[in-house]
Amino acid sequence: MSDAVRSTAATPGVLPSAVRIFDLSLGQMLWSRRSVFLGVLLGGPVLMAIALRIVDTLHASGFKVNGAAIGGSAIFGMMVWLLFIRFIVPVLGVFYGTSLIADEVDDKTITYLFTRPIPRRSVLLGKYLAYLACTVLLVLPSVMLVFFLLVPIGGGRIGEAFPSLLTDLGMLAVGLASYGAVFALVGTMLKRPLVVGLVFAFGWEPAVLLFPGYLKRLTVAYYMQALVTHEMPQDSAVSVLLQVFHEVPSVTTSLLCLAGIIVLTLWLAGRAVERREYVLEQ
Amino acid sequence: MAGLVVADHLSKWYGQVIGLNDVSVTVPSGITGLLGPNGAGKSTFMKLITGQLKPSKGSITVLGEPIWQNPGLYHRIGFCPEQDTFYDRMTGLEWVTSLVRLNGVTDTEAAAMAARAIEDVELTDAADKKIGAYSKGMRQRIKMAQALAHNPELLILDEPLSGMDPIARRKTIRMIKDWGRAGKSVIVSSHILHEIESMTANILLINQGRILAEGNVHQIRDLIDEHPHTVHIKADHTRALAREFLGHDDVLSLKFEEGAVVVQTGRPDAFYTRLTDLAASGEHGAIHEVMSPDDNLQAVFQYLVKA
Amino acid sequence: MPIHDQGYRRYGGNKARTGTGWMVIARAGIRTFLSKRAFLGLLLVSWLPFFVRAVQFYAAANLTSIPQASMLAPSAETFRQFLEQQQTFVFFVTVYVGAGLIANDRRANALQIYLSKPLTRAEYILGKLVILMTFLTLVTWLPAIVLLIVQIAFAGNFTFFSNNIFLFPAITLFAFIEVVLASATMLALSSLSKSSRYVAILYAAVIFFTQAVYGVLYAVTRSTALSWLSFSANLAQMGDLIFRQPLKYDTPWPVSLLMIVAIIAVSAVILERRVRGVEVVA
Repeated sequence: MSDAVRSTAATPGVLPSAVRIFDLSLGQMLWSRRSVFLGVLLGGPVLMAIALRIVDTLHASGFKVNGAAIGGSAIFGMMVWLLFIRFIVPVLGVFYGTSLIADEVDDKTITYLFTRPIPRRSVLLGKYLAYLACTVLLVLPSVMLVFFLLVPIGGGRIGEAFPSLLTDLGMLAVGLASYGAVFALVGTMLKRPLVVGLVFAFGWEPAVLLFPGYLKRLTVAYYMQALVTHEMPQDSAVSVLLQVFHEVPSVTTSLLCLAGIIVLTLWLAGRAVERREYVLEQ
Repeated sequence: MAGLVVADHLSKWYGQVIGLNDVSVTVPSGITGLLGPNGAGKSTFMKLITGQLKPSKGSITVLGEPIWQNPGLYHRIGFCPEQDTFYDRMTGLEWVTSLVRLNGVTDTEAAAMAARAIEDVELTDAADKKIGAYSKGMRQRIKMAQALAHNPELLILDEPLSGMDPIARRKTIRMIKDWGRAGKSVIVSSHILHEIESMTANILLINQGRILAEGNVHQIRDLIDEHPHTVHIKADHTRALAREFLGHDDVLSLKFEEGAVVVQTGRPDAFYTRLTDLAASGEHGAIHEVMSPDDNLQAVFQYLVKA
Repeated sequence: MPIHDQGYRRYGGNKARTGTGWMVIARAGIRTFLSKRAFLGLLLVSWLPFFVRAVQFYAAANLTSIPQASMLAPSAETFRQFLEQQQTFVFFVTVYVGAGLIANDRRANALQIYLSKPLTRAEYILGKLVILMTFLTLVTWLPAIVLLIVQIAFAGNFTFFSNNIFLFPAITLFAFIEVVLASATMLALSSLSKSSRYVAILYAAVIFFTQAVYGVLYAVTRSTALSWLSFSANLAQMGDLIFRQPLKYDTPWPVSLLMIVAIIAVSAVILERRVRGVEVVA
């Protein structure tokens, strides 16, 4: 046995350890029943896109809103807003983010990870990276399929719209990273993180975005808005109000703030995991 | 010599419930059995030793270093927890390998170490099967494999024999004794007394969050001198022997059983000396068997716990 | 006999008749949740809209000197809106109470123990249903009925009540539909998993995803005829019908009712298949 294995002199680095946890966790996350279900959920937008494409093919007149024809890009933009940004990305963030450590605690497998010569925060970081990889692998292909199905509607050209697809993919990846980090912090600090997460994503954020002032800067959605190239659909009174109070930071500011949110929340979450005692149910 | 595990006025409470109460103990190297009834504080002590819990008061050092928030120490410690949970979709080899990789070794080294550990616990045939398909005994053994794969100095085993069939128990006890002989230190917790006894004579007895006794079980027994020593004597003329015994004040009580007399004595040394002389002289008939039913862990345990 | 036998003696007292086991489960479950402070807090907060409405009714009845007081006068729509506002609390109470009702028993392998007693599966399910339905009734039917009583008390006469005599059965019927729908759906989802967290996300997905899907289709087609796709829209449609309000959606109300009945039926089928003492793994 090599002496390096016996030495306690150096605590192993966070990043190398996180990579090993990532390796361990990615396969579990990808092939778990939950991810299969979420994959099916993400098939919903694809099925909708197929249905819309079939309807468009059968009815030559195409889709009209208030008498004006709308193209595939506009429909794709609506789906990105209404399905991905307002629902899928926050829900994935809440679901996976709050369970990064909680799942291991519930399954009582956390002991094996916390009695290894790696910093505890690297367990959190590794699982976060696995969450990011898993959700990106699930969400982005769904978005791409929807794009390729919808954009040709109304004569739209995929080549012209392709750069905006890349922007959208980047934006969704940033959204997944941000929500995941925020809810990872919520998950490490609270006993019932899921309820708090749902309140934050579907209560606090939509409500606070309506009010003028600085409160909205305490949301991820505020910064995400700046990264969306599509027009916000006016599907409800809330959306109309949002347009009235529409105050969007610059792309650079949003990216910097989201990066800051990710780094800060992950750092705080790592700190919480290091200090917390996990008492498993007997 | 510094102990393996040194607890100094160590206490741990969960809200208003005290798990461990002002424990000061030094666990020496070798195999040590941690013994106590359910709810005694064994698990709490194990969790403190393995750095899963932080002391509420006092301190605990393992291998000379504080264990809480000291992940580097886990290079030298292997822990086999009580809970029967795994990543069921992985095979035994995959699981042990992925955990050993967390020790910082390369993939190839990790695979080799995992395979060696699995061979040590005699699970090579099942190494490529999913853990979800393992029997209880196999799961216990694969847990031990992940604990010893990185060749730690100290093995901490929490109820390692739980749920095992008799053959698996015997094998595991033999393994633990082999590890002890190979120079590893082992702390093994259990509430099954005769199994601890078969592994080691060195025990730590815990109850209601306090250490009741520590050290060699026979020495502990001798120290409990207030507690009468029971001696079971099979002889031809039990009544004659009884009359002889009653003439001495160290005999506190006696009773008769089929072909035997059971004596309680407050001074076992004096009593045994006299008994030896009686047996040699044959004055009161032949003495066939002398046994002390309470020179064992069960008696020590029962006495101390009830006291 | 002077020396009495101290050995085991069979219970010789009265036994409850068979078929009442569900009451034991319901009682124990209700007591468990009532002992949690956080949950009591949630119940308390769920009554805040009641107090706001009560103040409104007081002002309408007693501050007649203020011209704006007439705007606060109650109507059938007021009660409809009140129950609509309570849906937020219905969601959170359903998630809090219902997510783990069967999931926790499955995780702890308690189903085998339950069903090895003289307790049928139907009684087990009924007991669990009653737990959730009790708390949902506490945040829907009870505050609405008390509000009606409060209106009578503040007005000092039965004029409003007699002019809106249908309100009592309307509140009861709508609350019943809402409570049964939420309870059946949540219980069915709870029987699908061992993780209450996963169940909560599934439930949130059913509510929000179906709403988002309808939102996209509405944004594209500008037609509310597809509202039957949305879980909450179907309930809203029935609410408007029962309270004699103009229907918000173009979907015929029998379609909405059919969807509600279908969801309850599917939930019943799921429960019948999943609540078993033994899980057979092929």
